[in-house]
Amino acid sequence: MAGPMLRAGAWPAVVLLSCVAAVVGGFGAAFPAAITLFPVGFALLAAAAAFTLDEPASMVVDVTPTGPVRRTAIRALALLAPLAAGALVLLAAGLRGLALPWPATGLALAGNVLLGFTVACVARTRTGEPGAAASGAVVLVLMAPILVPPVAGWIRTFPASGGGLSSDAVWWTVLAVCVVAIAISISGRSLPRWMPSVP
Amino acid sequence: MTAALAPARPEAAAGRTAFAALAARELRRFAVNPVFLAGLGMITWILVTDPGGNVPEIDAISGYPAAFLGGFGMMAAFWLTRSMNPSEPVTGVTPVTLPARTAALCTVAILPFACGCLALLWFIRLHPVGLHMYGAFSRPAQVAILTSQIAVPALGGPLLGVALGRWVRFPGAALVVFLFIFGWVNLVTVPSLFHPDSAPVTLLRMFSPFAFFTLRPIHGDPSHIIAWRGSPWFFLGWQLILCAIAVLVALLRGADGRLRSRIIRALMIVAAGAMIMLTLAGTGGFAHPVSL
Repeated sequence: MAGPMLRAGAWPAVVLLSCVAAVVGGFGAAFPAAITLFPVGFALLAAAAAFTLDEPASMVVDVTPTGPVRRTAIRALALLAPLAAGALVLLAAGLRGLALPWPATGLALAGNVLLGFTVACVARTRTGEPGAAASGAVVLVLMAPILVPPVAGWIRTFPASGGGLSSDAVWWTVLAVCVVAIAISISGRSLPRWMPSVP
Repeated sequence: MTAALAPARPEAAAGRTAFAALAARELRRFAVNPVFLAGLGMITWILVTDPGGNVPEIDAISGYPAAFLGGFGMMAAFWLTRSMNPSEPVTGVTPVTLPARTAALCTVAILPFACGCLALLWFIRLHPVGLHMYGAFSRPAQVAILTSQIAVPALGGPLLGVALGRWVRFPGAALVVFLFIFGWVNLVTVPSLFHPDSAPVTLLRMFSPFAFFTLRPIHGDPSHIIAWRGSPWFFLGWQLILCAIAVLVALLRGADGRLRSRIIRALMIVAAGAMIMLTLAGTGGFAHPVSL
């Protein structure tokens, strides 16, 4: 069961986005002055994670005896691709001698990937292919501190100097919320009625 | 004389009517797209809350309209274009050809461009040209820089979105391109920080749909503004040619016969023009960075 489930995943999208993220993050490691490239690369990894649950044959798959917990667990293996790409970027940064706060950066990487996966999990209760919409939403949220000046003063999604809520606090909170959201979404409960379905 | 006064062919008139109706419909769909509205809302909020006057570094604030009108406009146009793909078996048999429908989609760029022009005027009202933050550039050059950073990206972004929507099947392509361009602009700016005198580095900085022209020195007197090399006017020309390339590439999808060969010929001419404009943008302007 695990083999066919994994084969049916949106691997081209996950691998392509992970590779682009690795390239963008790699440039960030190569040119320390362009530190902004790290959060951009991490946002791309979150987008890659959002595609892991895409199921074009959801009309058939959703009525098979394999429940959402097992299906999600199998598909979660695909998260290894964005996590590996992120680890590669951090390794490159380490080899270049960049003085990043490594535990906080690792937490930000895990948080970005899990956030993308969680949004896909929640959207998967309403649509078979949540990747496009989920990745869009996640990227816009994660890019907000870079694109919107006041948001950068409130919270930080990447460990760097500056004001606002520290990235550690943000990501520990996000991780806790994500675990609860995943648990609810794969337990068979659908979204509240007021929440529209994803087209 | 008789030929000039002869009425237009009825098919041409019908084609124009159908095109106008299609363009109006696409414009309405774009105007209510939540991604575009979100970008428009963000830029309105940023401009409303901007206190105006002199700021330490103009580049810290001039890029937001490009991201929110150009970047978000690109994503909205991409999804607008792709949204018609499932109905292609039905729309494909209508008398309106795919290039005509693509041309109608391209007209939606008028809306974000108009918003970009308004944002530009608002920005100039808040930060009048001639302030110290614009560096040593002449006043017309300062207007050219602001036009290239605020108004033209709002035109080019949606056009690029239509081209992507026509050619790329991957649903997240617009996001990837948005983030890639964002990263690329940051990346190609970095070498200019360390080698501001270098012509190849200036050319690399210009090889992008968006470019910075000034810098507040990190070391040394922070009140100084360094005006980088590069011609703002030719960069504006390069950006407009990129817009033309996006339109032609979008129109190429589904074009056949004579129309296809005409588009390809036009693309080659425009590509040659782009190379010339890029070279002039990289080599024009100040011979050396000028500090003010």
